[in-house]
Amino acid sequence: MSFFDSLDIAASGLSAERTRMDVTAENLANAQTTRGANGQPYRRQEVILQQAGSFGSTLAGAMGVSPGASASASGGVQVAGIVSDPTPDQLVYDPSSPDANKQGYVQMPNVSTVNEMVDLIDESRSYEADVTAMQTAKTMYTKTLDLLK
Amino acid sequence: MSLIDSTQSALEAAMRGSMLRQSLLTSNLANVNTPGYQRQDVNFQGVLSSAMASGQSPAAVSFTPVTQNQVVSADGNGVNAEQESANLSENGLLYENLTQIAAAREQIMLTAMGMKG
Repeated sequence: MSFFDSLDIAASGLSAERTRMDVTAENLANAQTTRGANGQPYRRQEVILQQAGSFGSTLAGAMGVSPGASASASGGVQVAGIVSDPTPDQLVYDPSSPDANKQGYVQMPNVSTVNEMVDLIDESRSYEADVTAMQTAKTMYTKTLDLLK
Repeated sequence: MSLIDSTQSALEAAMRGSMLRQSLLTSNLANVNTPGYQRQDVNFQGVLSSAMASGQSPAAVSFTPVTQNQVVSADGNGVNAEQESANLSENGLLYENLTQIAAAREQIMLTAMGMKG
């Protein structure tokens, strides 16, 4: 364990939550987009998070030795990928739309504004929690330095 | 009695344990949205007190993170964000306490050595 592990881990959480917020914002912005990149309606994107290995345990694995107690601590979180949500598009009856099919239905993106707003709250609160963790770590380091006074 | 007595090295060991716990709790909070993540923690006070009870030197005590298997949400995640925040504040305050005691003991030593003021 290095002295600044906590700060690195909190920072990884901050960047993961920020990525989720970016993707949620994109989903919200495209909630009504019927003509995406491939001519199809926009598909909702989702971020997959995974636990990140710490530098110590990765190094120990590469060297073929079992990681020590301190090295087995986690290295935080990382974004494994951004994937499309496979749920089907919503069909909305709107015969006046140029994108309507013969029956008068328009394929709308599979984005639920309410779900995205709830996700946004969750992401924002998780971000705040990581910031608090970072502040606590900073206080701890400052107190350690105060020992030298 | 040596200059660095067992209380001082126990304080240092507790600070080491508290620092490790801080990084584990931070990791739990960072992974609050990771599917299947299991929380990690360390009971450094328990390990330290049993080591000292068996006559081991506190300076030689090492702490190992423990993974706790529990599921609190549908995606298999085992982190309760509120609980982790509370643990984090508690651990931070405990660390502050430990540093204050360590600082006070150092001041006493400096006074005894006539190096103060």
